[in-house]
Amino acid sequence: MYEEPYRWIEAVANRRTYLDDQFTQGNPLIGLSFTQGILLLTFNRGTDKIYEVYDRIALGGMGHPADLEKLRYTLLDMAHVEGFQRSPSDVTASRLMKNGLAPVIKQAFEEIFKAPYITKILLAEVGPTQDRDHLFSINYDGMFEEQREFGVLAASSSIRETLAKEWKVQGHPSSLQAALEVSLRLWGISSLLQTDTPSSDEEEKEADSSPTTSVSTIPDDEAIASRIRETLSKETLECVLLDRENGKMETYRSLSQAELQPLIPQYFEPAT
Amino acid sequence: MGSQGDFIQVLQEQGYPLENLFPSANGSGVSRHPEVTQGTTVFAMKYADGVLVAGDRRATAGNVVMYDRTDKVLEIDRFSVMAIAGVPATAFEMARVLEHSFKYYRRSQLQDLSFEGKLRALSTLLKNNAPAALAGTGTVVPVFAGYDVLEGCGKIFFYDILGAEFEAVEYAVSGSGSSTIRGILFYMNRWGNSPISGLNEEDALIFVLRLMTSAAEFDSATGGVDAQAQLYPIVKRISAEGVRTIPADRLKTLFTEKVLNDV
Repeated sequence: MYEEPYRWIEAVANRRTYLDDQFTQGNPLIGLSFTQGILLLTFNRGTDKIYEVYDRIALGGMGHPADLEKLRYTLLDMAHVEGFQRSPSDVTASRLMKNGLAPVIKQAFEEIFKAPYITKILLAEVGPTQDRDHLFSINYDGMFEEQREFGVLAASSSIRETLAKEWKVQGHPSSLQAALEVSLRLWGISSLLQTDTPSSDEEEKEADSSPTTSVSTIPDDEAIASRIRETLSKETLECVLLDRENGKMETYRSLSQAELQPLIPQYFEPAT
Repeated sequence: MGSQGDFIQVLQEQGYPLENLFPSANGSGVSRHPEVTQGTTVFAMKYADGVLVAGDRRATAGNVVMYDRTDKVLEIDRFSVMAIAGVPATAFEMARVLEHSFKYYRRSQLQDLSFEGKLRALSTLLKNNAPAALAGTGTVVPVFAGYDVLEGCGKIFFYDILGAEFEAVEYAVSGSGSSTIRGILFYMNRWGNSPISGLNEEDALIFVLRLMTSAAEFDSATGGVDAQAQLYPIVKRISAEGVRTIPADRLKTLFTEKVLNDV
């Protein structure tokens, strides 16, 4: 029944609606480059969302854990075989994304008789200097983008746009503490916009009618702070630093709660 | 997909010819005279703060000195070191396989491979390499030392060419210069002023430099210390903080003060 082109397009569109809906419950993920390295941040409800891929590369995921796990293995296999046969410096996020991840995700999305990957992935690669940092984010349909300083996984493209604009306003953090504050704020905005959005269907209609003006307004500071506090009390803050100052081999470092707490004490105190 | 965290299996699935890793002895039939080419001196010993692993830097082919700046003490990961004696091509390849195997295991299984697991991995590589070792074209006799995070102590293991592993209580030696220093180690450990395991870092390092000098005295394939050429052995220290290379400057000072001018 899908032989006709129209049916196929219709099926793919249905798939988008289904997938968009799946991500409304997901946790946004922020990745940003600053002087010391790249910070990846999200919250989780038990299953980790950020993983080490190779010496200078990490991934952050949003969506179904089983799908994320499968794609994580694809990346690990590719990276380690490449690093072994050639050199660790030949393993780049760019090639992992373009040759490894994108074709696999796109194919799964378009093969309408099979299940798509319910996942969005951010790949971060820390360079020896900040201008050689790379962040790649890929959507469930295989579309990916490359950014130098800021990457985000969010429920919808309009939220992504809002966050990208907000990031420009926030400026460039020059310390881990500043990077942590900016990322948390962006996460909070993303989380609020995601739950405030009425439903994916309506949003899609809005986006269809006025694709350029779909940027949402930024919630006020107090709402953002209370969302962060509320989430901190229920879920685990997951932070990974790709530390460029830590030598070539082991840049990946998971930041413990004890390390995080003194850097952002305001969110750990009960709201007054 | 290497869901068990086995990197060699992944290589195999990706079509990497495993003969590259484990060359067989075919062609020449049964080995005629396994010529043991392991002109070198490497050793590891326990001292008060952990384990020291040292290796000279000479690479030889027959009676020719090929190279004088070889690194035979290879860091495999944050907590383990392999010191190699034998055919360099095979030994370096084994080190590369181990390094990637441990990295792959840690990242895919989200936990570090245990120290015993690491030992097994090297043992397996040696076992698979047995045909080449017996043919004399790929002999490797390594010393493997590391910090066992689970048990909280440094450990030293040595191997034969077929992959049997033996734990060393105090020290382990390998290479053509090892017979010289083995005797010294035994003597000093038993009748010296203090057992080797009681030495502080400075005394242990002085001991290492003196041992290397002794090995070079009697073994032409061991480079020893060449102060004129600023050539010092590679010495690595393993402790709970991980592996650290002893800087050449420190070795230089100790060598000048305590080896050359302290006779």
